[in-house]
Amino acid sequence: MDANVLKILDKFSRVANDPNGAAKAWKEATGGKVVGTFAMHFPAEVVHAAGALPVLLQSDEEQITEGHGGMYPFFCGYTRSLVDQNIKGKFDYLDCIMFGDHCVQLLSAADVIRIQNPSLHVGFYQLIPALKDNWSFENAERTLIRLKEAIEGKLGATISDDSLRNSICVFNKNRQLIRRLYELRRDRRIRLSAVHMQAILKSSMVMDKAEHNSLLAELVASLERNPVDPTADGSVPLYLSGHLCHATKPRILELIESCGATVVDDDLYHGFRYVSIDAAESGDPIKSLTSWYLDRNTVVPCPTRLDPKVDWDGWLLEAVKKADASGLVVLMPKFCEPHYFSYPRIKKTFEAAQFPHLRLETEHEFNAYEGMRVRVESFLEMIKHRQAMAAV
Amino acid sequence: MTIIASSAETRIKPSTDKKSNRLQVTKLNNKMVNEYWQSLFQAPQEGKLVCWYEGIQMNPFLQAADIAWCHGEAAAALLAARKEEGPSQKVAEEAGYDRELCSYARTHAGCAVMRTESGTPETMGGANPKELSLAERIPAPDMIISAYPFCSTGQQWDETIYKIYGKKVPIFNISMPWIWGNEPSSKYMSGPEFRESVAFMVKQLKECIAFIEEQTGKPFDYDKLSEIMAYTKKAAQLRMEAKALCKVKPSPANFFEWTNSIAPVNFLPGGQEIVDYYAKKKAEIQERIDAGIGSVPVEKYRLFWDGIMNWNKIGYLSDKFANYDACVVSGRYTHLGFWQDYQVIDVDDPIEGMAMNFLTCPISVSAPQMIERIIDHCEEYSIDGILLHGARTCRAFSYPQFLIADAVGKRLGMPVAMFEGDMVDESFYKDELINSRVEAMLEQIDAKKGRWV
Repeated sequence: MDANVLKILDKFSRVANDPNGAAKAWKEATGGKVVGTFAMHFPAEVVHAAGALPVLLQSDEEQITEGHGGMYPFFCGYTRSLVDQNIKGKFDYLDCIMFGDHCVQLLSAADVIRIQNPSLHVGFYQLIPALKDNWSFENAERTLIRLKEAIEGKLGATISDDSLRNSICVFNKNRQLIRRLYELRRDRRIRLSAVHMQAILKSSMVMDKAEHNSLLAELVASLERNPVDPTADGSVPLYLSGHLCHATKPRILELIESCGATVVDDDLYHGFRYVSIDAAESGDPIKSLTSWYLDRNTVVPCPTRLDPKVDWDGWLLEAVKKADASGLVVLMPKFCEPHYFSYPRIKKTFEAAQFPHLRLETEHEFNAYEGMRVRVESFLEMIKHRQAMAAV
Repeated sequence: MTIIASSAETRIKPSTDKKSNRLQVTKLNNKMVNEYWQSLFQAPQEGKLVCWYEGIQMNPFLQAADIAWCHGEAAAALLAARKEEGPSQKVAEEAGYDRELCSYARTHAGCAVMRTESGTPETMGGANPKELSLAERIPAPDMIISAYPFCSTGQQWDETIYKIYGKKVPIFNISMPWIWGNEPSSKYMSGPEFRESVAFMVKQLKECIAFIEEQTGKPFDYDKLSEIMAYTKKAAQLRMEAKALCKVKPSPANFFEWTNSIAPVNFLPGGQEIVDYYAKKKAEIQERIDAGIGSVPVEKYRLFWDGIMNWNKIGYLSDKFANYDACVVSGRYTHLGFWQDYQVIDVDDPIEGMAMNFLTCPISVSAPQMIERIIDHCEEYSIDGILLHGARTCRAFSYPQFLIADAVGKRLGMPVAMFEGDMVDESFYKDELINSRVEAMLEQIDAKKGRWV
């Protein structure tokens, strides 16, 4: 990799490793306001259009300690980490939190946060989880109007249609540049580790989008100038799926690739899922974002949304084949119920197609890394053996 | 119970020979419940359509349309109460449904997997339905209605059932808003956010009626809905009045009695029977008050149960607390839900009032409002301590319990006992842990009341 690529990746990695610190630094440098948001489908464009920095609050690498006093251990690592960070004052730099996703564990964490930190306003504008009912559009549009009004009120700003359209364009640009990286990776034209890819996505959720776009454009151009086949070393191309709202531990991503695999595609939230669809840049911007939300499932199905006609498992099998991956690794955060509901169908579909897949359960802490390594190594051996047999 | 007190040790030791004093009328509840399940098992033979649903009480709508219904939680609770939950949970786990998934959903999904794999009683080679397990006797759905308050798992559960049945069963979804309270104007059952949510619920319920009409091919009978809701409203009123009688000391009925009799206001058909049941229950409670009879032999402690019930432990827990001389007087699950605000239902036009009740059920109200209601309730019922049952696979019910513990401790000086369990998965229940937590709490209550001096 050339020096410029490494420099940009280093910048993204530093933000990804300390998202609260990066957002705080932005606030100190600009004097602007920062709005925390939660995964998964929040239209952060509305915050951006108010001149504030939307920051998607991340799961913290730090071990959960004080947070245990606010949340039972049988909640997912993301929500427990959010509560832990809040108790430790790590969100004190925020001007408010706004979110819209209907997930029982996320809502629970948000309720705990607002009671434990009464000075931090937490606004919830419920995005209808049913995407294709006759009233879905009307309801989602009304919710976004309420959200816009609330952000204007809390930040003392006015959001014009033009500013919102401009934000949509900035966000689209960001998504398009990242999708370009995915395309290059899928086509085996660039070498970007799974950890670097995550850093790109995670920093996009935190940094000022214009700055991120500028760095991304440079990165894409540099990588395009120096194509390289990352699987030329004989590593096994894998597809990663899961982690619907928070980042997989970088150590797990490193572990997978260190066993002799190359991640060539994914549907992770800190991955392709986050950038999968753009919003219309003309017309009524609220309607545009409403459609953006309601149509997300058609591009990458999300099991937290209700759309009975769409099957994540069937879509996933096609996506894995399209990426020409040799195996699927399902990364399932412990206690993630939407993923628990979906997994049996994924298992069934991949077994029926005789396509290799491995389920790895991940936790915020206490991941048995060495056990995980043995499982990944065995999985890769099995794939290679199968390929060798097929070649005979 | 004996109290051992010495300079080195102060311990509460439960007795072992006491039993809670069960209400006679509960037998009538059990009879009604049995009759309901029998009628559901026979529904296909009688040519009735069957609807599966979870969450809020959609049964009045189904009853008005002459559709039989299976409430998913009720089915799972039935299996657990009869110690028959094991096979369906095993089938679900073998199909890949994780043990940490909502045990109601897992048990119910297991029933669906069993049915889709082994067929219906009619297609099981003439198997005698009486020889089938309870799970196998639950008829397959002809339609699914999804209407879950707060818990996103509910909608995903219904979608899972829909997919287990190969997407061949029509499904109707109601998206329930959660009353978050973005503005200070948002109060319990009032404020613009609540009104907007009620309007949205009413719209969806009316659409759901159109869906029901589509399934039956008949116009919906609104008069029948009014009639059903008139019975339901009266039953709910009698139930609330009967519960209010238990503010006296000793309390004539306990939380476990109210748990046992949730069915008439949850999923039994609305009719004169449920009105008569609560009238009799109220009368028996009044008789006990007149005779000074309590629900436990000795009522030294009055407790509140927060969280959902261990359905396979009702009788056991009822006696356990009797042996601690403790009466679990009330609970969030039983006392703050199930047509709890019956008075807002206009029986001539009941849908809006039904929606208002659905939106204020015990998990549909966010913590700030819920905590205020619990604090008021504890004061009204002279509660000494709170049991916080963290149902491991019911995050919706369990999440606010640290907040509740903190609030009642700070504002009422009330001790709590937190412990884990589950609704219908017995493996999460740890008896000795509960003993030690409960005993510690009772000691705190004694200390607070100066009983050790």
